[in-house]
Amino acid sequence: MKFNDAISGALLLALSIAILVAIQSFPKIPGQNIGPGAFPGLLAALLAGCSFILIFRGIKERASEPWLVFGAWLRSIPHLRSFAVTVGCLVFYIVAADKLGFIICGTVVLSAMMWTLKTRPQIFIPVALIATLVIHTIFYKGLRVPLPWGVLMPFAW
Amino acid sequence: MHRRTLVKTLAALAATLASFAFGGGAHAAWPDRPVTLIVPWGAGGGTDGTARIIGSLLEKDLGQPVNVINRTGGNGVVGHNAISTAAPDGYTIGMVTVELVMMHWAGLTQMTYKDFNPIGLVNIDASGITVKADSPYKNLGDLVSAIKAAPAGKMKASGTGQGGIWQLALAGMLKDLKMNPQAVGWVPSNGAAPAMTDLVAGGVDVVPVSLPEARALIDAGKARPLAIMSKEPSALYPNVPTLKSLTGSDWTMGAWRGIATPKGIPPEVQTKLAAALKKIYDSKEYKDFMGQRGFGLMYADPKGFGDFMAKSDADMGVIMKTLGLSK
Amino acid sequence: MTPHVLMQALALVFDPYVLLVIFCSAIFGLFVGCIPGLTATMATALLVPITFFMPPVPAVAAIVTATAMAIFSGDIPGALLRIPGTPASAAYTDEAYAMTLKGQAEVALGAGLVFSAIGGLFGTAVMIAFSPSLAEIALQFSSFEYFWLVVLGLAGAVFIGNSSVLKACISLLLGLLIACIGLENPAGHPRFTFGLNELMSGVELIPMMVGMFAVSELLRFVTNMDPPMKIATDKIGNIFGGMWGLLVKYKWPLVRGSALGTIIGIQPGSGADMASWMSYAMSKKFSKEPEKFGTGHVEGIVESGAANNSSLAGAWIPAIVFGIPGDSITAIAIGVLYLKNMNPGPTIFVNNPQNIYAIFIVFILANIIMVPLGWLTVKIATKILKVPRNILMPIILLFCIVGSFAINNTVFGVVLILFFGLAAFLLEENGFPVAPAILGVVLGTMMEENFVTSMIKSDGNIWVFFTRPIAMWLAAGTIIILFWPVGTWAWQKYRARPIST
Repeated sequence: MKFNDAISGALLLALSIAILVAIQSFPKIPGQNIGPGAFPGLLAALLAGCSFILIFRGIKERASEPWLVFGAWLRSIPHLRSFAVTVGCLVFYIVAADKLGFIICGTVVLSAMMWTLKTRPQIFIPVALIATLVIHTIFYKGLRVPLPWGVLMPFAW
Repeated sequence: MHRRTLVKTLAALAATLASFAFGGGAHAAWPDRPVTLIVPWGAGGGTDGTARIIGSLLEKDLGQPVNVINRTGGNGVVGHNAISTAAPDGYTIGMVTVELVMMHWAGLTQMTYKDFNPIGLVNIDASGITVKADSPYKNLGDLVSAIKAAPAGKMKASGTGQGGIWQLALAGMLKDLKMNPQAVGWVPSNGAAPAMTDLVAGGVDVVPVSLPEARALIDAGKARPLAIMSKEPSALYPNVPTLKSLTGSDWTMGAWRGIATPKGIPPEVQTKLAAALKKIYDSKEYKDFMGQRGFGLMYADPKGFGDFMAKSDADMGVIMKTLGLSK
Repeated sequence: MTPHVLMQALALVFDPYVLLVIFCSAIFGLFVGCIPGLTATMATALLVPITFFMPPVPAVAAIVTATAMAIFSGDIPGALLRIPGTPASAAYTDEAYAMTLKGQAEVALGAGLVFSAIGGLFGTAVMIAFSPSLAEIALQFSSFEYFWLVVLGLAGAVFIGNSSVLKACISLLLGLLIACIGLENPAGHPRFTFGLNELMSGVELIPMMVGMFAVSELLRFVTNMDPPMKIATDKIGNIFGGMWGLLVKYKWPLVRGSALGTIIGIQPGSGADMASWMSYAMSKKFSKEPEKFGTGHVEGIVESGAANNSSLAGAWIPAIVFGIPGDSITAIAIGVLYLKNMNPGPTIFVNNPQNIYAIFIVFILANIIMVPLGWLTVKIATKILKVPRNILMPIILLFCIVGSFAINNTVFGVVLILFFGLAAFLLEENGFPVAPAILGVVLGTMMEENFVTSMIKSDGNIWVFFTRPIAMWLAAGTIIILFWPVGTWAWQKYRARPIST
């Protein structure tokens, strides 16, 4: 998804204005001559400046640069699906990790990713399970990272 | 091998579902699996070091691994919050620090010490007053008269971030000596070590951090301790006089650390944990560790620790309101 | 150093138990550094409880060895998969990955390995020869001087990569703004946290980096219409093959990188990551072939690979002499020194000479065994390029999830990699480079902190930035470097005018 620079610039300009508005409510700190709003304010102002140049450039090059170009993958169902599965896997992990535990979530994430990338089930199911267990052992046992057990809690080893 | 792990996992899955269906199994004696010890500060600091020695001694005592994990950020808000909101089953405990009784006054969180279940106090390090080795202030008297003579805010001190424990220690001392608590300007720093460096580099005039934190540069002959804000001189520098002996002021202030759990843990866990902690505190390993690092020893049992936090909380409220740091 | 003390020190190090500790911690360090999300600092923290039960020399040896290995092996996933293992490798990740795509993975990694070792030895030599006097200089640095150092570091962002300067600047500004999030600012005021407790601590650099490099790379892979299933790996036989040639060709960049790395390392508060960014930028600036940077050119890897390892040794100088941590690793190591009754301070050279010289010998030894062990690791690691990508990429995703979780033991790290993965995917599609944003986060907090505290100390007098002795020189240097391109541009414009009009 490639935007014309003018659109990127407009989005960035909106961001810098939002920051400039937000810092107005920052308090003054007793004993400090520069408040917490000064640094982000300066950065936002610089960003706004850069955005203006970007908008100007984008408008100048409008003839060769359309407002928005969709990448080829956005018209290909398998690629759209893969993109959605990748994002979906991360969202699934974020939502479910504490409840279901790492081993179940890890296996699901690996299986879903390999499925969408066209690995055969007789390969991806064992690979997903073994890889998850290996990673779990390395991190949980070896490096003492407290990966959640979730519903497998009674069987924690 | 692979098949076995697979079978094991499937069996585990089935059994879990079963245990859900029958409303959970009976509880074996605590602890029957690893215990997590949350530290609200980063790896390498004094709190982390203390937590790790307690963790490894607790591991020996309980016979289960104790995993020390760091949950850092937000001046301790993130880690303390993680401790208080963990499941109250005794498998998550935490090291709480003095910031717990400061952060709610500063308006950073609603959480207070009342959201925790105290297990025991294990350490306190009193605030010291340290100046550069070649500074003109030979003793506390010199420093106090120089502060009185200078325009308010001209002299600078550093040691923690804005509104941190050592800023309060210094301001409280000035107030107790009937001076303007804001007579010395505060330069926020990212902990004691950078502040000590800045003291030696000539960036600030006074650093009121604890003596173990100032120790390296004191021993290197770059910094000079003038006083300590505690009732008794410290074991690390017995020659550094107390504030009371120099000025008669009763002001004391220190950073403390203790072990606490979320509210509502089973009473038998509470008893076992408190007994284990007392045993660790009395152990030679713990005493040696604290001695080597120069950290101060102080113990209070669950009840005593609770009262201690309540008093500390009230003191902080008063001084933070005076300084305008309280919301 | 008397021969007697030296013999004692050698005997302390060349003890079977100590050598075994060094070997095991080397393997441990190589492994931890390889995994995105696990840093050299974390490797050290994990070693601490084990060192409780060791005598002083092996305890410190474990830390020294593991960190040196971890900083090198952070290059490996960076070069092979465009996923830097540690922030110190992020500066030249794109460069190394471009070499991998050209089938030169082993050259990139070989250069990283050999020049890491040389940089490390350089830093060690400086440490042995000049520790006390250099530490004295480091103590002269206050926030005024640090401010200029940070500005110098930021100036480098514009030189990194081949994208348009305007877009690089925007990316840098976005990074600096991200660094503003959270409570850790001089005012102690929670900024842009949207009421989330987790954002109080700000955006952690590691999850952000994993998101911007690894997750965005994954997204690019799954949306690629014609993805290569395997990356070509030329048979190079010996990864050390071309190294002598590189050594001769790039001797000055090597010396420059090692020296800069050592200097940055000595300054408390700046470490391997800053050293590698600055020296990469410097390498491009001084190169005879700057146009080749970013296209898979080894020169920058030579210089910044040396810089990040030499900074490790540099960081130990103030740590040993004054007990002041040069970086987060030495902060932990100082605690260990105290525990082992080797209290840091000028007297350590008097009270414990054999121990301190034993530590120096460990430094040398660690950098030497890094070469064969690193070579083995590279050999094994390049095999993963042969794994079909539709199996490899999902496993990498799971590693990223675990690594970002492990940083602060919270699932919020995974939220961050998702957010920054999507953001970087969009930014790169639109021609914005991501490396400057990461540099912005590395330096943003330092920049604000040092500026604000300086202004408090000077009661608002901005001239102090130019009047303190060391600050004055740093200021002059910074301003010359910053305005050099503008100056040459103006000069050329001026010279060209008579002809064009």
